Order: sequence, then structure tokens, then C-alpha cells
Amino acid sequence: MAGIEIPTELQKKIEETGPVDLMVGVSGPAGEELCAKAAGSLHGIAAKTVVVYAGGEGSAPVSCPAPSIPLVAYPMRAAQSSFPLWADIALAQQSILALAAAWKVRACVMIQSDLAALNAETIRLFAEPALEGRSDLIMPVYPHGKYDGLITKALLSPLSRALFGRRVRFPLAFDFCAGAKALAILTGHSSSHNGNGSHLMWPANAVAMRGGQIGQAAVNVQHSIQTGDLELSAILAELAGSLFQEIETNAADWQRVRGSQPVSRYGGEFVLKHDAQPVDPRPMVESFVLGSRNLEEVWRLVLPPTTMLELRRLARMSAEQFRMTDALWARIVYDFALAHRMRRVSRSHVLGALTPLYLGWVASYTQEVGGATAEEAERRIEQLARVYEEQKPYFVSRWRWPERAS
Amino acid sequence: MWNHVEQALHDSMARVTTKVAQMLPGVLAFIVALLIFFILAWIFSTLVRWLLRSIKFDERVGRGSGSLAELSPAHTPTMLAVRVVFWAFVLVGVVVGLSAFDASSPQPGIADYVLDYVPRIVGAAILLFVGTVLARFLSRSVLIAAVNLNLHYARLLSLGVKWMVLVLTAAMVLDHLAIAGAIVDLAFGILFGGIVLALSLAVGLGSRELVSRSLEREAVKTEDQPEEQRLRHF
Repeated sequence: MAGIEIPTELQKKIEETGPVDLMVGVSGPAGEELCAKAAGSLHGIAAKTVVVYAGGEGSAPVSCPAPSIPLVAYPMRAAQSSFPLWADIALAQQSILALAAAWKVRACVMIQSDLAALNAETIRLFAEPALEGRSDLIMPVYPHGKYDGLITKALLSPLSRALFGRRVRFPLAFDFCAGAKALAILTGHSSSHNGNGSHLMWPANAVAMRGGQIGQAAVNVQHSIQTGDLELSAILAELAGSLFQEIETNAADWQRVRGSQPVSRYGGEFVLKHDAQPVDPRPMVESFVLGSRNLEEVWRLVLPPTTMLELRRLARMSAEQFRMTDALWARIVYDFALAHRMRRVSRSHVLGALTPLYLGWVASYTQEVGGATAEEAERRIEQLARVYEEQKPYFVSRWRWPERAS
Repeated sequence: MWNHVEQALHDSMARVTTKVAQMLPGVLAFIVALLIFFILAWIFSTLVRWLLRSIKFDERVGRGSGSLAELSPAHTPTMLAVRVVFWAFVLVGVVVGLSAFDASSPQPGIADYVLDYVPRIVGAAILLFVGTVLARFLSRSVLIAAVNLNLHYARLLSLGVKWMVLVLTAAMVLDHLAIAGAIVDLAFGILFGGIVLALSLAVGLGSRELVSRSLEREAVKTEDQPEEQRLRHF
């Protein structure tokens, strides 16, 4: 894997151990609890298992009194991103994949450094389909409620589905499992990008483009993400910017994809959390209106006149009547993806100007699902994803002929 | 007496006509040199444009992060390179024309004086270009950031930043051109300080109600934080 050097001691360890059936990679540093959790969770899943975790210079290695499963530290590289919500994790995942390829593993389970996914049930759900060859890549479906993962619901999942053709609920996930074929795809995919971690990993999109089999596992895992210090605009810019970059890099592939395919399901029904009370949309509507008043000069450079007219009409609506249609939101996302590619407006400005529009969608969504059940909200998201697919020809034509205004 | 007046007028007309006649070849040489170099500039800029487009220069430069396209997206790298080549040839044409004018001039030295000033003009032009681009970029960055922070005086902040950068740029350009040094320093200080003071007064006093409403809204949002936290964007 270009750009990822495996230290000499680690290479010796790989040669001494020989090929391994299952590798569990922790995308970050780990403490002493790793030993106990690994022993309890990984027993009996595969014949030969190894656990790798991030160990940097100056950090003491995790020691186990009687290690039943070897724990190996890999060097942690520092991210060069200003907003390392995902950058550190992406770097760690790339390092783990490089190690897994060197170790010739049959399945590599990636887990977040909080070790929430390190339990027997979750590891089995991830690893067994890959070890048995039923799927090349297994993505998680985390328990979620109506108001959880809104950026994923609004943008990451439906956009990935429409362009790359697979109905993956969480295309950007902390935990996933790659089989041997997916490992080859992902290590090859990562090597074509800059190795400094500025690029996030989109495993489902990469495997979908190469015709791999993807599955989804209903895992009962909750991660607590510390985003208190980060503004919403920074988080949205990092995630949307990375996906837009992925779209630009793989433009030749996704333009050939028609529709979307369902993926295999493991572990039973997806867990939906039930939220009792509706959310007040007024703060988000106010943010949208403020953006509409002040950012029209920027939006006009990105969006066609018909979309601008609809946004002006929306800005005049009261909070109770505020509704952003799925088609409008999908076209806005597509236009911003195109603007990100064209660079007529600085990319940082494009991504910053998306935030009020996203909040407008959130306001509209929370109003529609306020009195709905979790299942009805899921059907609502499915409806949004279908609209993204219906609007894809609009995006393809604008991508190919950007000078034409719709 | 009228004969003397007539003689004086006749003599001065003759001197002026002689001076103009002496300068005319130099002026014509200047114009011809400039025209030739304008044509050369057009030819070479067209060649450079064709060459850069054939090697996909824009795409190659645009791949790096923090590229020029981020600061001045409306000007592609190819267009900027073509313009640099064009105006470089024009500048050389001006220099050659001035030398030709100087060579045929009865009072040599004009060209030296102008040629000594050309680097300052070039430096000032670069300063002006960079300052204008930076002013636009920074004002838009501040506008977007302020809107995303729900600040209702976002546009005011953005305009203030833009004009501060433009005033600073203008002062630097005039200083570089060595035009009215002390006056420019004083005027800049007064203007810049005035803009900062005006912004402070606008925020602190003039838009007191606006700020207090904005702060009240933020305080209410803080009390409603449990509701906001029920929305998990990621």
C-alpha cells in the first residue's frame, strides 16, 4: 500500500506468525482493558486471530499477563487535517488495512478505539459472513432514532446510494469488516489517494465500484462521539467535502451505475430507537433564513436560477409551513457537489455555504416526522433516497455539461 | 515695439516646433516598439494558452490543496499564466520604446528616470492584485463563518473586514510607489482607525439592541440546550 510503511519489527512479527484468519484492528490507541475484552470476545471465532492497535512513540505497549490472542501495536500517524474528527480514524484504518494485507488475513474487523464493538456477538456478526465468503464487506447498522445521524440520513447515505448503487445505511462507519477481496480493493483504492489522511475512507463505495458483495449487520453498538468543540459547519464540511472528493475521483465509474441494489442483511431486524417528543424547528428555520439573506451571493454562484427561486419562496414561509421538498434538497446537494469539483467558488466557501441549507432540510424533516414512529421515519428516509436516485440524471447531465443552466 | 513682440512670438514658435520635431522620431519609435511588442505579446500568450491547455495545466495545479484556485477561483491558472506572459511582453515593449525615445531625445535621462520607476509599478500592481483577491476571499470567509454562527451582523462584519484589507492594500501600494508618503501614512492611520472604531461603535453601541437580541437568542438557545442536543447530526 503506497505511503504506508510497515516497520521492520512488525514485518518480522508478520513473517514469524504467518497468515492469520482474523485480524481485529482498533483504529486508535488502546488501554489495558483491550486484553480482557479481546480474550472474552474473540474466543472460538477463527483458528488464528490477532488484534492490532495504535501504538505511537512514547506510549507503553498493552501487556497481557497470559495473552491468548496476540496484541500488536502499529505506528500511529498524525493527521494533517484542521478538523480531525475523522482524519485520525481514517489514517488508522489505512494502517490497519495495510497490515491486514501484509498478514494475508481472510477477514479484518475494524473497530473504534472505545472498544464498544469488541464483544463476541458483534465480532461474529461482522467476521462470519466474511470468513464464510458470503460477503466481501460487512457494514454496520447502528441503533438509531428519528433524530440521529442526520448528516448521514440527509446526505452521506442517499448520495452514496444513488451514485455508487448500493443501499448501505451507514457508508461512513467506525466499525466494519473487510474480507480478502475487499481488502485488496480497499488497499488499492487508498494507495491512489494522498497518504496524509486528508482523505476519509468510504469502504462501501470503493467495494461497490469494483463489484464486491456488500452486507449490513444489525449491531447493538453505541459510540459516543465528542463533537462538543466542533461547529456543525466544520463537521459537515469535513464529511461532505470528503464524499464530494470521492465522487470527483471516481467520476468515470458512478456515471455508469443505474439504480441501486439491496445488500445482504445479517443479524436480524435493525434496531430503531423511539423518540418521544418532536423537536422545535424554529432555530433551524431562522438559520436557513439568515443564510438566505446573507449568502445569496454565494448560493447564486452554485445553484441554478430555478433553485434560487424556490429557496427565496421557502425563506418567506413561516416556521410551521416550512417544507423543503426532497427533489429540491437532492438537487441542491448535487449542485454543491458539482461546485466542489468546478472550483469557481473556493471549496471552503462552498462547503461553508451548505450549512444553512442543510439546517433548512433538518427543519423540514423534523416537522414531517415529529409525530411519526421510528419505522415511519425510516420509510421517509427511504423515500428521500429514491428521490436522489430519480434526480441522478440531472446530476450526470450537469457534470458532463456544467455550462448549461437548468 | 510690435515688431519685437512679433519677433519674440515667431522665435518661441520656432523653438517649440523644433523641439516637437526633435521629439517626434523618438515618440514614433516608442509607438512602433510598443505596437510590435503588443503583437508579440498576443502571439506568445496564444501559444502559452494552447500549450497549457494541451498539458491540462489547470487540472494538474488544481490537484494540490491550497492552490491558487482556492484564493481566486474565477481566474484559472492557465488564464493567469497567459496574462502574466502578455503583460510581461507589453512591459518589455514599454522599456524598449522608452530606450528608443531616450536615444533620439536631445535630453537623455528621461528613460532612466522612468525605467527606475518600473519595478515599483510592477510591485505595486502585484500588491494591488494580491490585496484585492485577499479582501474578497477574507470577506466572504468571514460572512460564511458569521452566518454559520448565527450572527445577525454577519454582513457588517464582512464589509468591515473587506474595507480594512482594501484600505491597508491601498496604503501599501501608495507607499510602495513613494507617492505623498507622510500624507498617506496619516490618512491610512485615520481611515483604518476610523473603520475599526466605527465597527466597534456599531457593535457596541449603535447596534446595541441588535446585539442584545442576538445574545438573548443565544441565551435562550443555551437554556433549550437539551432540545438541541436531541438532534444528533452525526
